[in-house]
Amino acid sequence: MKALLEVKDLKKSFGSRQAVDGISFEVEEGDVFGLLGPNGAGKSTTLSMICGLLKANSGSVTVGGYDIAAESMAAKKLIGIVPQEPALYTQLSAKANLRFWGRINGLRGKELNRAVDEVLDLVGLTDRASGRIGKFSGGMKRRLNIAAGLIHSPKLLIMDEPTVGIDPQSRNHILETVKNLKQKGITVIYTSHYVEEVEALCNQVAIMDNGTIIAEGSLAELQKKGGQFQELNIDLNSYPEKAQSAIQMLPGVEETFLIDQKLKIVTPNAEQILPLALEAISRQGVTIGEIKIHKPNLESLFLKLTGKALRD
Amino acid sequence: MKKTIAVVSVGIRQMLADPLYLVFALAVPLLMTWVMSFLPTGDGSYEMAILGVLVMFVGLNIITSAGGYIIDEKQTGTWQRILASPTSYWELMTGYFIKIFVLAWLQSLVLLLSSKYLFGAPWNQGYLEVVVVLTVYIFAMTGLGLFIAGFVKSTGQVQMVAMAVVMVGTMLGGVFFPIEEPSGIIKLIGTVSPQSWAARALQEILTSGINLTTLVTPLLWMSAIGLLLLIGGVLKLQLES
Repeated sequence: MKALLEVKDLKKSFGSRQAVDGISFEVEEGDVFGLLGPNGAGKSTTLSMICGLLKANSGSVTVGGYDIAAESMAAKKLIGIVPQEPALYTQLSAKANLRFWGRINGLRGKELNRAVDEVLDLVGLTDRASGRIGKFSGGMKRRLNIAAGLIHSPKLLIMDEPTVGIDPQSRNHILETVKNLKQKGITVIYTSHYVEEVEALCNQVAIMDNGTIIAEGSLAELQKKGGQFQELNIDLNSYPEKAQSAIQMLPGVEETFLIDQKLKIVTPNAEQILPLALEAISRQGVTIGEIKIHKPNLESLFLKLTGKALRD
Repeated sequence: MKKTIAVVSVGIRQMLADPLYLVFALAVPLLMTWVMSFLPTGDGSYEMAILGVLVMFVGLNIITSAGGYIIDEKQTGTWQRILASPTSYWELMTGYFIKIFVLAWLQSLVLLLSSKYLFGAPWNQGYLEVVVVLTVYIFAMTGLGLFIAGFVKSTGQVQMVAMAVVMVGTMLGGVFFPIEEPSGIIKLIGTVSPQSWAARALQEILTSGINLTTLVTPLLWMSAIGLLLLIGGVLKLQLES
C-alpha cells in the first residue's frame, strides 16, 4: 500500500516548551489511523502542522506526495478537517454552510449541489438542511462539522477529538459515520483520548505523550503488547502510600501507580495477584473501597509506558 | 476570485442575519439622524450634525466589523478552517476587505437617503463627489479597522479601541461642531483624523457644491492613511496566521 501521509522528524516548540519532538509516522491509503494520547500530548499541534496551519520548526509533512510547506495548495486539496469544536457560521442554515465550505474547496454548480445533498444524507441531517444551525443541538452541530470536512471528498480526513462533550446518541452516530467512511475506503486520522473509540475504529495506532510517539503499530500489535499486562484497580479509603509500598514487594507486580486514592497495579495476571494484594493491604490496616480488573487494552499499555492514565 | 466572492457572500449574510448588528449599524444611527433633524436649519449645524452621525457610525461599524469579525472567526475556528482549505490568505483577506467595504457603503447609502427623504436634509448636489469621498473614507477606515484587528485579542478590546478612536477623531476632530482656531493636540487630531477630513469634505460638497479638484488634499490624505494601515494590518494578521 502507498503512504498517503508521511510525517518525518516533525518538531514544533512554543517558547521553551517542546510541543512536538521529532515524530515520524506514515498513514497508508484506506487506513483509519488513531492518534491516541492525553490532553497536552501534542496531538492537536501535530494535526495543525499536517493541515498547514502551523509551520514546523523542522521536519516534513507530505500528503499524496505534496509537501505541505512547499506545495501547500495541492496538498490542502486532498485534506478535509473536522476540528474539535464545530467551525461553522451559526447565523446561516446547514445547507448555506455546506455550500460555503464546498465553494471554498473549489466545488461549483451541480457538483456542489450533489456534494451538499450527499454529505447531508451521510450525517443524517437532510431534513434539517434549511434550519439555522444556531438552533441545532451540540450533537447535530458536530455532525454538520463532519459533513463540512467531507464536502469536497477529501482523500485524507483529519478528525480532532470529534466526540468530546456530546451525548451518547450523537457519539454513536459519529462513530457509525466513521465506520461508514472506513468502508468507503476514505483515509482517516482520528485523534482521541478515548481508548474504546480508537479500538473500535482504527486499524493503525500511534500513542503520543509529551510530544513524542511512545508506541506505534497496528491495533492488533499494540493490543498484544498491552495484552501482556492487566490492570488491577483498587480504590483505597486510607493510607494509600502504605498500601502501595506493600504491593510493590509482591512477586508478579510489574508497576504500581497511585492516582488520587486509586492504586493501579500493572501485572501479567491480575487474578493471581488479587488475593495476595488484598492480604498485603489488610496487613497495613488499609481499608478498601472498590476493586476492578481491566482487560488488557491500549490504556494498560499507555499506563505501563508512561505511568499515567490517558484521561488524567 | 470565486473563493473571495464566497467569503464576501457568507460574511454579508452572516452579518445581516445578526439582529444586534442591524440595531447597531442601522437602527441606532437612523434614530440619531432623526434626533438631529430637530436642530435648527439655516446655520449649517443641522447638516453638520447629520453628516457627523454618518461619519461616526460608519467608522464605528467598520472598525468593530473588521476587528470583531476576524476575532469571532478565529474563536469559532472558521478562520483556521478556511486557511486549512486550498484558499490563500490573500483571497481570504480580499474577501474580508470587500465585505466590510460593501456593508459600510450600504450603511452610508441608507443614512444619506433617509436623511434626505425622511428627515428633510437639503442634499441636492455633488452626488459624484459624495460617492468619491465616501468611497475613500470607507477605504481609510477599513484600513484602520484591519490594522486594529491585527493587534486586539478580544471583541471587548475591539469595542473599546473602536469607541476611543472614533469618538476622539469625531468629537475632537470638529465633526459635530466647528472648533475655532484649534491648537496643540486638538489641531493634530483634526489633521490626522479621516473622520474630520471626510465630514468637512462632505459638508462642503453637499452645502456649497465644491468639485473634486478642490478635494485632492483630503482624498490623498485619507487614501494614504488607509493604504498604510491596511498594509500594516494585513501583514500583522498574516504573521499571526
